[in-house]
Amino acid sequence: MDLESIPWMLILPFIIIQLILMLVAIIDLTRVSSTNGPKWLWALVIILGNLIGPIIYFIVGRRNE
Amino acid sequence: MKTLLHMQGLTKQYGKEKAVDSLTFSLLKNTSTALIGPNGAGKTTTLSMLAGLLKQTSGTIVFDGEVTEDIRKVIGFLPQYPKFYSWLTALEFTEMAAKLSGVDPKIAKQEAVKTLEFVGLADVKNKKTGTFSGGMKQRLGLAQAIVHKPALLLLDEPVSALDPIGRREIMNLLKELQETTTILYSTHILNDAEEMTDQLVFLRKGKLVEQGSMQQVREKYANPMYKIYFISTEEAAKFVEISPWPARQENSIAFIHLEEEKPVMNEVLRVLADSHLSLLKVERATASLEEIFLQVVNKGE
Amino acid sequence: MNNFSVLFQKEWRENVRNFKILWIPLVFLLFGITEPLTNYYLPQILNAVGNMPEGTVFPFPEFTPEQIVMATVSQYQFIGMLVITLGFAGIISRERKNGNATFLYVRPISYASYVYSKFSMMCILVIGSIILGLLANLYYTNVLFGSVDIGAFIGFLGTYIVWLLFVVSVVLFSSAAFSTAIASVVSLALVLFFQFIDALLGAYWTISPWKIPMYAGYVLSGSVDKTPFTWSLVITLLLIVLLIFGAVYFAKRNISKTKI
Repeated sequence: MDLESIPWMLILPFIIIQLILMLVAIIDLTRVSSTNGPKWLWALVIILGNLIGPIIYFIVGRRNE
Repeated sequence: MKTLLHMQGLTKQYGKEKAVDSLTFSLLKNTSTALIGPNGAGKTTTLSMLAGLLKQTSGTIVFDGEVTEDIRKVIGFLPQYPKFYSWLTALEFTEMAAKLSGVDPKIAKQEAVKTLEFVGLADVKNKKTGTFSGGMKQRLGLAQAIVHKPALLLLDEPVSALDPIGRREIMNLLKELQETTTILYSTHILNDAEEMTDQLVFLRKGKLVEQGSMQQVREKYANPMYKIYFISTEEAAKFVEISPWPARQENSIAFIHLEEEKPVMNEVLRVLADSHLSLLKVERATASLEEIFLQVVNKGE
Repeated sequence: MNNFSVLFQKEWRENVRNFKILWIPLVFLLFGITEPLTNYYLPQILNAVGNMPEGTVFPFPEFTPEQIVMATVSQYQFIGMLVITLGFAGIISRERKNGNATFLYVRPISYASYVYSKFSMMCILVIGSIILGLLANLYYTNVLFGSVDIGAFIGFLGTYIVWLLFVVSVVLFSSAAFSTAIASVVSLALVLFFQFIDALLGAYWTISPWKIPMYAGYVLSGSVDKTPFTWSLVITLLLIVLLIFGAVYFAKRNISKTKI
């Protein structure tokens, strides 16, 4: 599969949305005062956790006050 | 003076335990009352019942001459540990509080701004409440309780968590509010109740144990005495032996409590002069507020 | 409605400021486009990885567009429902637990407005996100697998929304009635576990709220049996109304559990 044959019009939105989701999670992480567990760990989870990382962060890591 | 609120036999029972036990007292319009008692005396439970957060097991609450189930429309309530939505600003929160309490939505914001100025939060009104310090939270708590100009203000330990300066400031605000509002607040520190409070209600284990103005309570529990300071414990002991009045001794100090017998200072001095004991000082003393508090809440123990 | 707009504004601000208004739609959008993409490109992806022995042939089935949409729904039915139940289990109970709600409960608010404000916000987030995700899914499916009948899709969407209203009501009711931890377990059981049971033993009955997602799929492929489908919808709508009334009742009854 060479680069031209990749259907960027279909793949690009997927990549962009995933990046936005990751970005939202990271921005949120820097703004909240504390999380359940160390912040650096959550940063790793968000960045390395693919699609699931940010979701787990928002549900488990975020401390809702 | 008109009675704003009357509680008759107010009782809250949890299982067999009575957190509040047949409490009866009244609040006169535009006066302030302090609920005083140690932790666990039933102060918060009483305030919660008045605020409609808890339902009483028995007893009635009469507001402005009517038996009422729900006085939430006319009260402002400040809990002991006010918690705010950390994502709202002080102004947004106070405005919401005003609207939910029935302030005309058109003027709610304006009223919120005025109230925040009154409590001294004008500078930080657009900051998120999550960043507030303890003292600021207490002020914001007060703001949300008074923004709708309630007839009755209920405050649970409004100053206990504050430093002496914050304490003074809140007390001054309350003094100002007292001109137009009936205030009921709880405290476990009698000193806080001094000055501004018209009525003291002492609670112990859910029961009312004493009630009256500061002056009445002071007079009743003043427990006047002579304190006689000697240079040594032996001297004090000797005095207790020869004293014509009942006396007791603590280290080098002898006490004569003025109960049945009330000798005047001259008589005491005459006895002392005749005794040839080595005297340092004689004074007439009354119980401190702290001692009064302990006396009242330990009554009948 | 008494106080509703003030309380709804509060809910709105909360969900904007804690980013739920962003991340929940994004999650459903991602799942919506992942399913058609991976199904279509899986053979090529495996080829590109390229450590298969020469001449290995995978028998990839040919999917119909409807099957792709339903594969997405089954993703939503698991991960999506997990996100919704766990993400909203504290919607009422948390306010009680940390004492925030004291400020609401000492005011003359209507508990119905209080619950409706939460219900509305949840509906906007949950149903809005899923519609968004399914529309993206429809577009990708159209491009990669062929067109889906629009009339059937609308019928399917309408049916699936009834299921989502049921899920929202279950979570809201649990949060009004129980603590956050118990509410999580109860709503997980009622949404996921019951669905599993229904799938396992459901051959014995045809009318059940937990069959609604399956019926939605039948609507999409145009092969739904009208009678059990209609009755399931009626029962589910009734349950939704009951759960909302129950939520109002418990929200009011549990004010004494608020931390003061």
